[in-house]
Amino acid sequence: MKNRLEEFRNQMNWTQQELADRVEVSRQTIISLENGRYNPSILLAFRLARLFNVQIEELFLYTQEETHE
Amino acid sequence: MNNRKQWISTKIRLGWMFLAAGVIVAAAGIIIGVEYSHLPYNFRIITGLGILLIGIGIGYLVRYKSAQKDEQSARRISVEERDERTVAIRSRAGNRAFLVETGLVYIGLMWVSFAANGSLPPLEGDTLWFFLAAAMLIPFAVYIGSILVDQQNT
Repeated sequence: MKNRLEEFRNQMNWTQQELADRVEVSRQTIISLENGRYNPSILLAFRLARLFNVQIEELFLYTQEETHE
Repeated sequence: MNNRKQWISTKIRLGWMFLAAGVIVAAAGIIIGVEYSHLPYNFRIITGLGILLIGIGIGYLVRYKSAQKDEQSARRISVEERDERTVAIRSRAGNRAFLVETGLVYIGLMWVSFAANGSLPPLEGDTLWFFLAAAMLIPFAVYIGSILVDQQNT
């Protein structure tokens, strides 16, 4: 699943570690999310969306064609 | 914050439980070994299990007691262990190791069944030992390998 995490993070001038600390996950998880290699749980998705004050759909871009892992 | 403290307290309690269980099992192993030395059984296996439990308990206590005192380290440990990606990777590795273990046990079971009617040579002596060692080590290797691969790919 594509996302705009890096874009929103850069807007806030946060490092990956700072963002990881704010949502209480590891920096590696943020890296994987930004690279699109990992899809977050619904709870983490909500936490991230709340943190950036946006809707989940603005942050995570779901496309119908995506295959399930 | 409160949740984290509670989580660390639970881990410390678990550490004490491992330690207590370890002391009991190790002591039981030593006492039974002395009292029933005439029995053809190596009671050091029980003592060894007790020592292993003591080690696990001490490991828990050292790790989480220090975290209890220092908020920074509590946060780091909590994030490290409860990170959802890490938990998912471990779960997946556990599933794969379980499947491999089940497969190996099934092979062993089939082998013994076929050996019973003479279709295959019986599993005994060194062969049995190597099979059991493989049945323990291969799933462990799959678990570790799976974690390493998933850490790279997810």
